[in-house]
Amino acid sequence: MTQVQPSAPLIELRDVHKSFGSIEVLKGVSMSVRDGGVVCIIGPSGSGKSTILRCINGLITIDRGTVRVGSFAVETLTKDKHLVPLRHEVAMVFQQYNLFPHRTVLQNLTMAPVQVLGEKPAVVRERALALLAKVRLTGKENAYPGELSGGQQQRVAIARALAMQPRVILFDEVTAALDPEMVSEVLNVIRELAREGMTCVLVTHEMRFAQEVADEIFFTDKGVIVEHGPPARLFKSPNDPRLKAFLDKVL
Amino acid sequence: MTLDYAWLLDPLYQRWLLNGISTTVLLSLLGIVLMFVIGIIGAAFLHLNVRYLQTPTTIFVELFRNTPPLVQLFFLYFMLSDIGLTLTDPATGRSIPLFTGFTCVVLSLGLYNGAIAVEIIRSGLLAVPSQTVEGARALGYTRLQTFRHVELPIGLRLCIPPMASNIVSLIKTSSQAVLVAVADVMYGATQIMLETFRNLEVMLLIWVVYLVITGVAVLIVRRIAAAVRIPGYGS
Ligand SMILES: Nc1ncnc2c1ncn2[C@@H]1O[C@H](COP(=O)(O)OP(=O)(O)OP(=O)(O)O)[C@@H](O)[C@H]1O
Ligand SMILES: [Mg+2]
Repeated sequence: MTQVQPSAPLIELRDVHKSFGSIEVLKGVSMSVRDGGVVCIIGPSGSGKSTILRCINGLITIDRGTVRVGSFAVETLTKDKHLVPLRHEVAMVFQQYNLFPHRTVLQNLTMAPVQVLGEKPAVVRERALALLAKVRLTGKENAYPGELSGGQQQRVAIARALAMQPRVILFDEVTAALDPEMVSEVLNVIRELAREGMTCVLVTHEMRFAQEVADEIFFTDKGVIVEHGPPARLFKSPNDPRLKAFLDKVL
Repeated sequence: MTLDYAWLLDPLYQRWLLNGISTTVLLSLLGIVLMFVIGIIGAAFLHLNVRYLQTPTTIFVELFRNTPPLVQLFFLYFMLSDIGLTLTDPATGRSIPLFTGFTCVVLSLGLYNGAIAVEIIRSGLLAVPSQTVEGARALGYTRLQTFRHVELPIGLRLCIPPMASNIVSLIKTSSQAVLVAVADVMYGATQIMLETFRNLEVMLLIWVVYLVITGVAVLIVRRIAAAVRIPGYGS
């Protein structure tokens, strides 16, 4: 592990390349996120947004370049065991919630801290109950994910991520599978986390939300980051014609 | 044609039948346990891509799934009794053969239906949504922990219906025990037929006996399925 200067960003990707078979999905992606920063990744479907997130927590291995999170050189972590401390720091929330259907809501929150991190069940339980209150799901402890609405399931997934006490949370289009009336209840929770200083990397199609919470926006197209900057500038005066065309379509 | 069941009143025949039934049930229960052990371990080897063990597992599955269980039983019986391993009874100090007909039947049932169980459990594991697995991986679960805490519990639930037929098949196949001189219910029936010549009546009764045993087994599986059902999952 290398010594990191206090001013260094918490997450740093440098020239990341990734191919699936013969298709090059990431063609040299570089980006950085400061501690406590909230960044959004926007871009057309298939441009590599989810792949970028999966590189950050080591769900996929990269072919070239470096990914650093805090003191972890992610691309050097190959064994499952070595990835545990990274995944302790970097939690992820998915479009399809990815909850454990065979476990209750409370168990979904407590399983990983107990089974993976080896924490005391009683301590984890207390924390889980507090987190369920935070995402406004008190009373649903003993329900199963399949018995909840999409919005509720996604809030459980966020609470499950928080139960790991991470430094960073990656959100991959977490409202894309939700009915419109449930989108805001999930966005409210994320907004609160962002305000509290949690480092967040969000892939999203909610442009208004991105504009509101992000301090930086990255626009991806065909495996490269075409343009990035603070939302006020990026949305008002985009430079790249591809970003212009994209914004015309989605705004 | 009239059916004559007067012989059923004979306490000797009753004892033969009841002993036979309990032996059949015991053979089946032990066979089911072994079947699950083999099925889960084999499916784990295949599912987790365990190096050096994948090919032998596939060969095992093909070998035992695609050949008659009777041939397997005879092969086991003759091969193992030929090796002639013995155990020393700690109570009497006498040496008893390790591979009796009974052991061979249990082994054979466990292997034959276990090979089928490997494939059944594997298909259950494959039906676990990849998102659920990814959720576990993102939380730091290792490949093995993911299998143990997420894939197996869900996969086993998903494969209950085909597993129920496999259990019924095992119970039916246990009737081969008679051919290696194990006193199961078929053996009792054969003895009674030899003495009473009431072949039709005896076979009719045995038919009903198997129907009841498999019926109870299916009922138990249904109870288990209901008890472990995941609320709100699937249908
Ligand atoms: N595991 C994989 N195997 C093969 N190809 C993959 C894999 N994961 C992603 N891809 C491909 O990589 C490309 C980028 O995928 P990615 O999921 O990163 O895009 P995205 O920007 O998140 O798109 P969307 O907005 O639709 O979610 C796509 O063409 C996709 O088909
Ligand atoms: Mg995506």
